[in-house]
Amino acid sequence: MLEIKNLMVFYENAIAINNINMKCEGGKVTGIFGANSAGKSTLMYTISGIILDVKKKEEMKGGERITILGNIIFEGTDITYLKPSERAKKGIILCPERRRIFAESSTLENLKIGAYLATKTQAKKTLEYIYTIFPPLKNLKSREGGFLSGGEQQMLAIGRALMAQPKLLLLDEPLLGLSPMMEGMLARSIHDINLQTGITILISEQYARPILPIVHHGYVLENGGAVLEGSSQELMENPDVKSAYFGL
Amino acid sequence: MNILIYGTVNSIIFALVAVGFTLVYGVSRLPNFAHGALYVLVGFLTWSMVNDFKLFYPFAILISLGISSLLGALIYRLVLIRLRGLPTSEIIASFAVGLIILEGLRLQGIGGFKGFIGPFYVLPSFIDAKIKIAGVLIDAQRLIVMLGGLAVVVSIWLFTHHTKTGLSLRAIAQDEQAAMMLGIDSDRAAIISLSIGSALAGLAAVIILPLGNVTAEAGYRILINALAVCIIGGLGSWAGAVLASFVLGFAMIISTALFGSVWESVVLVGAIILILIFKPSGLLGKQKELEERV
Repeated sequence: MLEIKNLMVFYENAIAINNINMKCEGGKVTGIFGANSAGKSTLMYTISGIILDVKKKEEMKGGERITILGNIIFEGTDITYLKPSERAKKGIILCPERRRIFAESSTLENLKIGAYLATKTQAKKTLEYIYTIFPPLKNLKSREGGFLSGGEQQMLAIGRALMAQPKLLLLDEPLLGLSPMMEGMLARSIHDINLQTGITILISEQYARPILPIVHHGYVLENGGAVLEGSSQELMENPDVKSAYFGL
Repeated sequence: MNILIYGTVNSIIFALVAVGFTLVYGVSRLPNFAHGALYVLVGFLTWSMVNDFKLFYPFAILISLGISSLLGALIYRLVLIRLRGLPTSEIIASFAVGLIILEGLRLQGIGGFKGFIGPFYVLPSFIDAKIKIAGVLIDAQRLIVMLGGLAVVVSIWLFTHHTKTGLSLRAIAQDEQAAMMLGIDSDRAAIISLSIGSALAGLAAVIILPLGNVTAEAGYRILINALAVCIIGGLGSWAGAVLASFVLGFAMIISTALFGSVWESVVLVGAIILILIFKPSGLLGKQKELEERV
């Protein structure tokens, strides 16, 4: 479904993504694991196209020079230089790091904004679905986004992304700053979303333990390059992964 | 009672003038300094269509509103799109567009164009009548200003809370990149907001201008009024803009009643200075308590 070929991203002369080749298979959950500054978020921004917006703004200001090399291919077409909103129309929806909820809008409004690309019937159906996987959101309809707790915000962020009718859902560090209980619950919900809707999911996370069991295939990033790849089982049994990402 | 009624009318005039400006700024962080020019332009366009081309008055109004919203979209598409993210350049460029329009209206002698100079340009009132409310004599146009202002504020609220396009504008206003991730195009949102903002400037013009005569110089005053309202209310805050126009509207009427009309502009500028000293983010500027929780 998604294929990344020889992708390199530079901020000025610093390399953020170093020659990454990877694939996301349709209907599967793919994981990207790596420490801080391994390039996870840059990779997510590059896939969703937000980096092009950042690049344009930096160019305007005469700030950092961002260079993107390589190709991103989605369902057979090259989307490396497509605008983020066009990519969203194709079905690539990013649920960003630190959630970025619309803080002044209510929960329901956040979801409605998410449905910008959806038809009325799609929106209605998805809204019901979101309330079944994230029941707490139902009671928080009129609460402002900024006043939700971290876990509630994350549920809302995932819900908002689902409203946009994704084919490929990018989840950037969905477990950031959550309690262990919430982590487990969200990991299960992500698993359910994949099973029930068949949406392809690409998920990046620092802390692999709750996520690793639900991915079909995973990549380990280090300093912008993919150093390891394998199925969930293979990664779990790898001694390096064990020591580095499980703290065992 | 006089103060109450005329204060309300004055406040609503402020709100009408400022609401377009604050909408554009709130959505796309674009300071549209051509706002006052568009206001005056619509006044003259309507006047000229009614008097030179003998068009039916409401029809002339609709056409000039259409032209001003088209102009707003063009200002973005041709000028501001090249300057996104450079606030000072955006101000200079849009002010330059405003200058071209305002000074262009006063140009004489090109193609027999006489230039709009002097006090002869008056838009007709919608209804020519005077009505007595609670013992105060008020003309019908001022009532229309009140109703029009109310209608504009309510319809903007409905638009931004209950339509897809309106919601997408608010999303862009809150977090541009997060909105992009959901498929909302920021350039498209900016064009929409600028054309709505310019149409609102025009609407304010056709509602307010029948109260006096149309002069090109009014463009600068309108721009300053809109800026004052936005600074006092908190840049980009729509509720703040409405609140600030009431504060300013009443402050001006009261100061005029007590000390004479010389003090009008002192009150305006004084209010800006006071707000910048004591609450620089404006009355309803961005709230700190809504900052991200982790």
